[in-house]
Amino acid sequence: MQNWIEFAKGPLFALTFLFMVFGLGRHLVLQLDTLFRRKRSRLRHMPWGKMVKDSVGWALPVKHLVKGKVIFSNASFLFHIGVILVPLFLADHIVLWEAFLGINLPSIGPVFADILTIITIVTLLVLFMNRAFMRKMRAISRPSDYWLLVFITIPFISGFLAAHPSMNPLSWEAMFLTHLLSAELLFVLIPFSKLSHIVLIFFDRISEMHWQLRPGAGSRVAEALYGKEAKV
Amino acid sequence: MSDAVETHEEMQVDPGRNGRDLSKRLPYHVENPRPTNTVERFLDAFATVLEHTDYKSLLDSYSRTTNKCNRCSVTCPVYMVTGDPRDIPCYKTTLLLQIYERYFTLGGWVKSHFSQNSFELTDEIIEELAEVFYRCTACRRCTLECPMGMDHGLITRLGRYILSLIGISSKALQVSVREQLEGETHNTSKIPKPALISNLEFLEEEFEDAFGLKLKIPVDKENRDFVFFCAVSDYLMEPDTLLGNMAVLHAAGDWDRWTIGTENYDGINYGLFYSDWHLESIIKQLVGEVTRLKGKNLLIGECGHASRSAHDFVPVFGGKEAYPVISFLEYTLDCLRKGKITLNKEVITEKVTYHDPCNIARGGWIIDQPREILKSFVKDYVEMTPHGRNNFCCGGGGGLVSIDEIYDFRMEIGGKVKADQIRATGADICIAPCANCKKQLKELVAYHKIDCEVMGLHDLILKAIEIPGGKSAFERKEEAALYAM
Repeated sequence: MQNWIEFAKGPLFALTFLFMVFGLGRHLVLQLDTLFRRKRSRLRHMPWGKMVKDSVGWALPVKHLVKGKVIFSNASFLFHIGVILVPLFLADHIVLWEAFLGINLPSIGPVFADILTIITIVTLLVLFMNRAFMRKMRAISRPSDYWLLVFITIPFISGFLAAHPSMNPLSWEAMFLTHLLSAELLFVLIPFSKLSHIVLIFFDRISEMHWQLRPGAGSRVAEALYGKEAKV
Repeated sequence: MSDAVETHEEMQVDPGRNGRDLSKRLPYHVENPRPTNTVERFLDAFATVLEHTDYKSLLDSYSRTTNKCNRCSVTCPVYMVTGDPRDIPCYKTTLLLQIYERYFTLGGWVKSHFSQNSFELTDEIIEELAEVFYRCTACRRCTLECPMGMDHGLITRLGRYILSLIGISSKALQVSVREQLEGETHNTSKIPKPALISNLEFLEEEFEDAFGLKLKIPVDKENRDFVFFCAVSDYLMEPDTLLGNMAVLHAAGDWDRWTIGTENYDGINYGLFYSDWHLESIIKQLVGEVTRLKGKNLLIGECGHASRSAHDFVPVFGGKEAYPVISFLEYTLDCLRKGKITLNKEVITEKVTYHDPCNIARGGWIIDQPREILKSFVKDYVEMTPHGRNNFCCGGGGGLVSIDEIYDFRMEIGGKVKADQIRATGADICIAPCANCKKQLKELVAYHKIDCEVMGLHDLILKAIEIPGGKSAFERKEEAALYAM
């Protein structure tokens, strides 16, 4: 068991983490390519000021608690606080970042970390129930929408239990290994799934750029399909 | 035409709400003959679009990030009424994204080879696409509440674009665009040049009747500051809006600064709703006309989509001819602020409200300008809730207002929320500075029996403006009252 933990903590962690970084990096490069190579000259017409203002407004989405989605919106907001802070700033994780990346992040105290973890788990449950029990949510959900919630919950629950041996029904090793492997599974899934919004959200938020159409493209499409004499 | 008649009959026999089951069935409109082999042709058209345009990165990003959180559903006026999951903006978007993922990404290819129940495009799905994309008014209200910032209006438009390439599109829009681009009149209402000239003469007579002032509308004058384009239907249906425009230009002393071009006088651009090709071609016609007349600016009359398509796309497609685009609302406000026009504060005694046309308000471009004008001379002004960027669509956006076959949909579903909103204000007059919104709202208040008159902003200005040397606003009001008796 100890060997497995060492493997998961060492090479497997490095591999999956790099996989995630490269996967997200690929998205970043492709989007930047569109932005700066293809659309460059057309972007000066975009209402940058308004877009930045809108995006900053979403960082603290109190303005966006629309009627009819208040529970979801609050749960989602709280969930994001936990899911960003705990993996990055938990004392035990900071050691990891220092070992692998050589960066020294400040730590959040263990009590605060526990509270955040519990909030994250509870909000995940709320999000899952919301998706599973609301007719209109079910209508547009795909299996991956449910599975991802489960996959995100596992490292939080296993991490919490590993840190609190008194509540842990399994051995510490088994729980810790579960924690490591489930987190690494997430690293692999991130570039392929909607979790890639970690990077892509910044480009979606400026989707106004996609209205800056490519000049001449429309007639080239018509010509390719119907020849030079294409009629309306 | 036979197609339209058939589909209308289908709707009549379907039972349901008021005898018509609109939430379940809405025909889309294709020109005869009905397209065949649609799946193959759809994918072919999709591939060609991806090859020549920049949509790939948009679809790449959206297909991953679509969160399906349903926040968009609570903002959509269509979904609010029907409660049909197909009307959730994210549902429509996902349909198109699914096709993209399956046929144009590596992941989709792999999945289709290893999974038993992978997604396959069928005729039914294309039919559904056609239906859902023409149930969306492309008002983009959902975009404001999408945490990812996804623009469902853009996806609706892209879906319609690909469909139009295989012959599935609204007949009303298609016929209009054909006349505008390939017909002799170059305008969507098929108004020939002589008819335009006699229409302008009629406007001159009306103007003389109203103000007692004789003037000649400048036609094909060169080197003018403003070349005027309005929604061409205004010449037929909204003379008061045009008279209001003329009154402002005259009162401001700018009569020698503007002109109408007779080669091209239509600001309507249905390409904005469904085709990149048409959008660009029409923009090029507009700037071509300004170049021909050696004009300096495009002055766009009261029309939401004409204003937006010119304002947003002249810079994109205009190239070296990318002249500045000015909305008539901006122009009038400028005149008012500079004290060039005087509006009588006493003549308008009715309660007035303002409807924000989506195309100019959603992006945050024109929201406060018309309000500033209205509040300067209207005593009893009331806002709708919500308004501004967050307004509700009139229910005829995205070109739907031109499609007569879906009148029932526009009245009972698309415009239902708007009708309630107007009724709640208790206003006597609803100002809608947009040719599309005006047509839809006029039909809407009649259908829902709301005691409210719908008009353009310049229709109201026409009542209140004071032109030096002309009849005063009160004199005109008395004359109008006499005439009404």
